[in-house]
Amino acid sequence: MKTLVRAVALAVAVAAGAASAAYPERPITFVVPWGAGGGTDTTARYFAAGLEKELGQPVNVVNRTGGSGVVGHSAIATAAPDGYTIGMITVEITMMHWQGLTDLNPASYTPLALVNADPAGFTVNANSPFKSVKEVLDYARANPGKLKASGTGQGGIWHLALAGLLNDAKVPQSAIPWVPSQGAAPAMQDLVAGGVDIVTCSLPEARALIDAGKAKPLAVMDSKATPLFPNVPTMKVAAGSDWTVSAWRGIAAPKGLPPDVQQKLIAAIKKIWDSKEFKDFASSKGYGMEWAPGAEFASFMKKGDADMGVVMKAAGIVK
Amino acid sequence: MKFNDAVFGAIFLVLGLAIVVHVQSFPAIPGQQVGPALFPGLVAAGLAVCGVLLIASGLRHRSSQPWFVAEAWTRSTRHVAGFAAVVAAVAFYIAFANTLGFLVVGPLILFGLFVMFGVRPATAALVAVVATLVIWYAFYKLLRVPLPWGVLTKFAF
Amino acid sequence: MEALATAFTMVFEPHTIVVMLGASLFGLFVGAVPGLTATMATALLVPVTFFMPPITAIAAIVTATAMAIFSGDIPGCLLRMPGTPASAAYTDESYAMTRKGQAELALGAGLVFSAIGGLFGTAVLIASAPVLADFALRFSSFEYFWLVLLGLSCAIVITSERPLKGIVSLLLGLLVACVGLDNPAGFPRFTFGSTELMGGVGLIPMMIGMFAVSEILRYAVETGPKLVIDTRPIGNVMRGMWELLKKYPMQVLRGSTLGTLVGALPGAGADIAAWMSYGISKKFSKEPEKFGTGHVEGIVESGAANNSALAGAWIPALVFGIPGDSITAIVIGVLYMKNMNPGPTLFTQNPQNIYAVYLLFIVANLIMVPLGLLCIKVAKRILTVPREILMPVILLFCIVGTFAINNTPFDVGVMLVAGLLAYVLEANGFPIAPAILGVVLGEMLEENFVTSMIKSDGSLLAFFGRPIAATLGALTLAAWFLPPIIRRLRTLAGA
Repeated sequence: MKTLVRAVALAVAVAAGAASAAYPERPITFVVPWGAGGGTDTTARYFAAGLEKELGQPVNVVNRTGGSGVVGHSAIATAAPDGYTIGMITVEITMMHWQGLTDLNPASYTPLALVNADPAGFTVNANSPFKSVKEVLDYARANPGKLKASGTGQGGIWHLALAGLLNDAKVPQSAIPWVPSQGAAPAMQDLVAGGVDIVTCSLPEARALIDAGKAKPLAVMDSKATPLFPNVPTMKVAAGSDWTVSAWRGIAAPKGLPPDVQQKLIAAIKKIWDSKEFKDFASSKGYGMEWAPGAEFASFMKKGDADMGVVMKAAGIVK
Repeated sequence: MKFNDAVFGAIFLVLGLAIVVHVQSFPAIPGQQVGPALFPGLVAAGLAVCGVLLIASGLRHRSSQPWFVAEAWTRSTRHVAGFAAVVAAVAFYIAFANTLGFLVVGPLILFGLFVMFGVRPATAALVAVVATLVIWYAFYKLLRVPLPWGVLTKFAF
Repeated sequence: MEALATAFTMVFEPHTIVVMLGASLFGLFVGAVPGLTATMATALLVPVTFFMPPITAIAAIVTATAMAIFSGDIPGCLLRMPGTPASAAYTDESYAMTRKGQAELALGAGLVFSAIGGLFGTAVLIASAPVLADFALRFSSFEYFWLVLLGLSCAIVITSERPLKGIVSLLLGLLVACVGLDNPAGFPRFTFGSTELMGGVGLIPMMIGMFAVSEILRYAVETGPKLVIDTRPIGNVMRGMWELLKKYPMQVLRGSTLGTLVGALPGAGADIAAWMSYGISKKFSKEPEKFGTGHVEGIVESGAANNSALAGAWIPALVFGIPGDSITAIVIGVLYMKNMNPGPTLFTQNPQNIYAVYLLFIVANLIMVPLGLLCIKVAKRILTVPREILMPVILLFCIVGTFAINNTPFDVGVMLVAGLLAYVLEANGFPIAPAILGVVLGEMLEENFVTSMIKSDGSLLAFFGRPIAATLGALTLAAWFLPPIIRRLRTLAGA
């Protein structure tokens, strides 16, 4: 009997060992915390398709939406760290724990790679009388509450972009009230329809209506101009503010992913990121390319997380 | 399972009031004229009012509408068991699908329900296995839904 | 024009055609089995369509529901048991015809006039939706706020015999919509510390619970006598259809028009359209005394009405994102999942998608005739499918389907609770449709109110400050004070 038990145990151990050596040997689930068709989803699906080719197993994208990203981020963090559930995490992971929405923070994951970052923009209606961000801020200071801004939900990344800018420019938060929206697209439509005056979503998100001549970008909240609109000034030039903020996306796994699986995944992601196809994909969509693997991604998030805490408190979004 | 309107009225009244009290703890949002408490508060208040109206109507029709009417099925053990089995089947899936795996839980649920509804055990066993495999193939293989493997993880593919 | 060509290639693409055929057979089957409804067919399809491209997904839903509404007539005719609630209005009538040996005529009328009604509704959809969409482009949050409130009010007025219970149902739905973080304040409400609840209560799990699981529960406690099928063979059902059309043109037109209108009103769908139509048909008939004794006139009119209602319900769903019935409530959920958010921009930015939807409706109603004939031929076999085997398999399918949407067992729990709740509420006379509408529209109602308040700096007067908003506001207030009058009209029609 004992021999039998030992034999079975050995067989299981061999099978298990072989399993991890041969990772992946069954389909992988790729969790996306945001809805189908959006920028994060498009990027995630691009990498999922690439990983499928690199790893030789199906990689199935699952959109776990809702709760402003909390639900999906939590689904990634709480999955088994066996490499069969990975996901795309976004800048919100450095924000939502400050808001008291979750205990999750960047340290709840095994970071694999940062793949993209898009800075916030500052877009107004094409018929707007304002020609620069400075004019807008001066007007808002003199006429508090007159101008309304939108771009995402209350407390979302683009709300924070505006709040941080106002904070940096010493304009009271109440000078430009935030109108929450379901996302960048409805906010841009409301901008064109005259419902709001400013939208602070990223320029790729505003691009369709800018190209259609219905909206005009006044600045990008980054340290350098964006290749998508090289003529749009940085916030430093447009309003003398050093404020920069961007929404980034990276691929991560639950905390405690075995190192060999990590290496395999990071190598595969790098291969996809380095490909010419990805560069074409990113430039066609106007997405900013950013690369930071493993530990670099972790320290990038750690710094971002601390910065967010400071700004969100200063801007009065959290107490 | 038919109750007098007043029974529902009382439930909705209590529910409505509880929510009205609960939403008082919701914060105000700077820059927004109405906070997160207003909408659910109004709806819950409306529910409480409807609760009162239902109580009134229930008491008015007290003669024609008893507090509780047990329909015929509640006196038939087979039907009560059938009802309970459907609920238990779903609960069983939620509780054990991840640990036991879909390919174990699926046939168990089907077999149990088949027998409960009066299918012969031999037929029930066969159909339970075949139907589970068909559903598994459709969702796991064709639609790529990660149905849990549970105890069969080692054999996963 | 180019968009129309694109739409053609989207619809007549082999994959879509195969899906439409499969969905047709599925719809015919579900409709023909008593206890399985067209809404249930849609709810069960969603987990599968979830993995399809948008147009294919819509194709599956459009064809399956059109077929199900027709084939619901079959068991009504042969078993005196409506296959779907939409056939209930004239079940007794068609069964009486079967008893008189006219089953062919009853089934044929159901099939042919279903197709005609469906095509009529589609024509109205094609003609009116773009015009409405053009109009809706000028809508801001003020107009949408009123529109949603008007829709919710209509749902109460039309759907419930007892408005109080309808209102309770609606309020429960609105409360469910409050759960989670996705509100204008970004504040987690009623989550009880659960991360899953931060995302709110999923619409699809809820729908599967309310329309499929509750139906399985009802089956489990069914104590009625075993149904007996009429065993006479069915002859040529197409015979005499042309004569019927020539004899009752007015009835067809009236039924289709009423059906489309009722379908377009939020909350009221094919079943109510059929009841109202049958009542009106009797009231205006030259031979009302024949109704109930096996007279085909009412079947012609209400058969056209219930299928035209299906298309009508898509008008507000596509243009405003306000569902016309429970089926389009699910469809709206699917459209959002496919990033084809309903609204006027759907018509301006991607017209090929809209043309494709029109084409789907036309194709679905055309292939209904041959496939329906086939279904009638094998009807007796479908009706004898052992339900003690069918129901548990459907339950397992519900569980897996619910899980498939988000890959979380939590949703399976939502499905179970929703199923139990729907069962208890319906057993006690609370209608379910208003609750669904509340869940679908609750978020929209609150969001448009809050954003309007921010834009107007807290002034309620602004809700009447724009001409369209003021008109919609007045209409809404009217809907609150008109119910007694409308109810009287309803009794007249139903008498």
